[in-house]
Amino acid sequence: MRRAPVLASRRELLATCLALLAGARTSAAAEGPAFRFGLTPVFLTSDLELLTKLQRYLSRQLGQNVELVQRRTYEEITSLLVSGQIQAAWICGYPFIAYRAQLDLVAVPVWRRRPLYQSYLIAKKGRGASSFQQLKGDVHAFSDPNSNSGYLVTTALLAEEHLHAADFFRQTFFTYGHRNVVRAVASGLAQSGSVDGYVWEVMQEIEPSLTSNTEIVRRSEWLGFPPIACPLALTKSEPVVRLRSALLGMASDPDGRDVLSLLRLDGFSQELPSLFDGIAAKLSAVRSFG
Amino acid sequence: MSTLCDRLVQVLRPRSWPFAVQVPAVVVLLMLTVSGVLTEAVLNRLSQTQERHLEQLTGAYLDGLSNSVVPHVLRQDVWEIFDTLDRSSGLYKGLDIDWTVVSNDNGLILASNQPNTFASLSPVPSSIVARFSPGHELVLDPAASLAYVQRTLLDQGQRIGAIHAQIRIAALLSERADVLAALLATNAILTLLLATLGYVAVRRMVRPVRLLSRHLQESARGKVQPIPENEAGRADTEIGRLLRRYNALTLAVNEREVLASKLAEEERLASLGRLASGMAHEINNPLGGMLNALDTLKRHGMNEQVRATSLRLIEQGLTGIRELVRSTLVTYRADQALRDLTATDLDDLRLLVYPEAKRRSLGLNWNIEISAPVPVPVLPVRDAALNLLLNACHACPEHGQVTFKAGLAGDILVLDFTDTGPGLPSHIREYIERPDVGSAPLDRTSGLGLWIVKRLCEEMHGRLRVLSSSELGTTIRLTVPWTAREFRDAA
Repeated sequence: MRRAPVLASRRELLATCLALLAGARTSAAAEGPAFRFGLTPVFLTSDLELLTKLQRYLSRQLGQNVELVQRRTYEEITSLLVSGQIQAAWICGYPFIAYRAQLDLVAVPVWRRRPLYQSYLIAKKGRGASSFQQLKGDVHAFSDPNSNSGYLVTTALLAEEHLHAADFFRQTFFTYGHRNVVRAVASGLAQSGSVDGYVWEVMQEIEPSLTSNTEIVRRSEWLGFPPIACPLALTKSEPVVRLRSALLGMASDPDGRDVLSLLRLDGFSQELPSLFDGIAAKLSAVRSFG
Repeated sequence: MSTLCDRLVQVLRPRSWPFAVQVPAVVVLLMLTVSGVLTEAVLNRLSQTQERHLEQLTGAYLDGLSNSVVPHVLRQDVWEIFDTLDRSSGLYKGLDIDWTVVSNDNGLILASNQPNTFASLSPVPSSIVARFSPGHELVLDPAASLAYVQRTLLDQGQRIGAIHAQIRIAALLSERADVLAALLATNAILTLLLATLGYVAVRRMVRPVRLLSRHLQESARGKVQPIPENEAGRADTEIGRLLRRYNALTLAVNEREVLASKLAEEERLASLGRLASGMAHEINNPLGGMLNALDTLKRHGMNEQVRATSLRLIEQGLTGIRELVRSTLVTYRADQALRDLTATDLDDLRLLVYPEAKRRSLGLNWNIEISAPVPVPVLPVRDAALNLLLNACHACPEHGQVTFKAGLAGDILVLDFTDTGPGLPSHIREYIERPDVGSAPLDRTSGLGLWIVKRLCEEMHGRLRVLSSSELGTTIRLTVPWTAREFRDAA
């Protein structure tokens, strides 16, 4: 009986320590267990200011500490999400389709007034290629094997022509980041690359020195923007409901608008899973080609 | 033209340079040597230090890089290798890395930080690999301002690939050039300074020596002059003492000169004495005969035959005495000094030598080939000839022969003295032919007469030579140039 307060105070101390350890990403207002929100390199994860502002905004809106979880690959985040170790994540349309049965949409970003984006095939500036066929025999940079724009779109394109990426290109490698694809192509390490059109356009604005060394060979059709998804089981849970409203209301909140302006997004909208039918079609095309 | 050449030759011969130039030249030479050695040592040390630093820096770079890329090389992960190279290229402040290439065990490039130059999956250019000898990680190419490094990538002791890099070392080389320039400038300034100091100091130091040298040169031309006291500097310095010693020397030389002329006069008187005694003897002989004749006259003067004979004898004796007196008068009359030499003057010498010749039973040959008066100083010529003739008589053995020849060769009077003596000792021969007189006689017994002859010879601008000297006899030639008319008039 006499020891209980000590234990309680220890717990408090531990919690405080953890909160402190969480560092800048921990909101002072947040209480209770953290809401774990996964991020994939669908956008510019390197921007610390963006991460801080996003974390603060979400923590405030959710009324609880939000922990941003980052991993090197899409696959790791997807696995965490599917297994329920994180409550929500900003993933790509491809894993969303791949794990459609286990996942549900929370919200979809709106870019240039539409919840859509494109995949670009890029090459070194001045190459003058106008079709993907001209990229045959290249060293080609993919973003991530679980990325729609950075892998699936190109492999589906080749599958339509009954081609395998490994045969069409001399060599391929994964850079695990759209920005890295641009770097690889700009430096000459790769002769061509598959990149998220949204990332390329944003980089054009904030890092023109990199994108100016590249040129777009082909733009894909418009596809569903990488969405924020949650495990199907959690879709009605209180934190996820709050997350959804935080995202949807972002454009009407000053802090939220700050985050959106850093992301060069208009806002978030609620969309039907059918938005990603185009990606699903590509996946089945690739799978059927084998 | 030849003077210019001589001057040039002199300028090119450092030993002929004045001290004030020689010493700074030595200073410059020393400084150049010292600065050369120092510069070499400093640059050597600098380049060693730079090389060591470069080795350490590149070593650190390669250590860090190989640690990072080994896992990626194992997986042949082109992107990660590139990403590592790209991110590390700006991290090493002291290293100006041109390019870095990571290759796999098959010599294929996995990635480089300059993919445009070194494309992935192309072989590593053999020109790069060929630069390295086995076991060397760093190769310098100062001509191209580049250094090349290589590192073998190992995993569990197995070679899995290699890193090659090219590093720009222009900064290191320019640092070396800066140090070299600074050293050269410093040394040049120091050398110039020291050479100037040396020049000034030595000029100051050798000023008294130059003074001394000037006085010595002047003394060679004429009378030996001491250095005035006000120019000789302080007496307590080394140079001051030297100059004073020189002054003491000039004093001694001048005193000796005075002594020498006194000695010459004495010798002249001595030979005069010898001559006088010979003459007395010469007078005494006929005098004895004449007294006998007189005695005979007194006693048998009545006899016509006896009277005539006695008077003839007395006349003969008196004539001989008159001849002797006449020639002596000719020799020593001061008013004879200004006239030209005649054959009689030389003929008369026979009379003066005769007593000595007779005493030693010598034959005398006189061969005078002078028809007109010769413009040479009479007294010194006669004096010198008399001395040489007496020496010749002295050199001859009993019943020997003394020959005297006189003639003209153009404007020069030539007198030859030949004896049948045993030849001249070499030191005397050398003494005779020496151009200078010497300040003292050779020695009392053998050469006093010669010394006088040489003094006279110099007085007349004449020359003394040994024509021949052997066991069969010696011939000495005295040549006297004609005196210039104006000189004789002035005299």
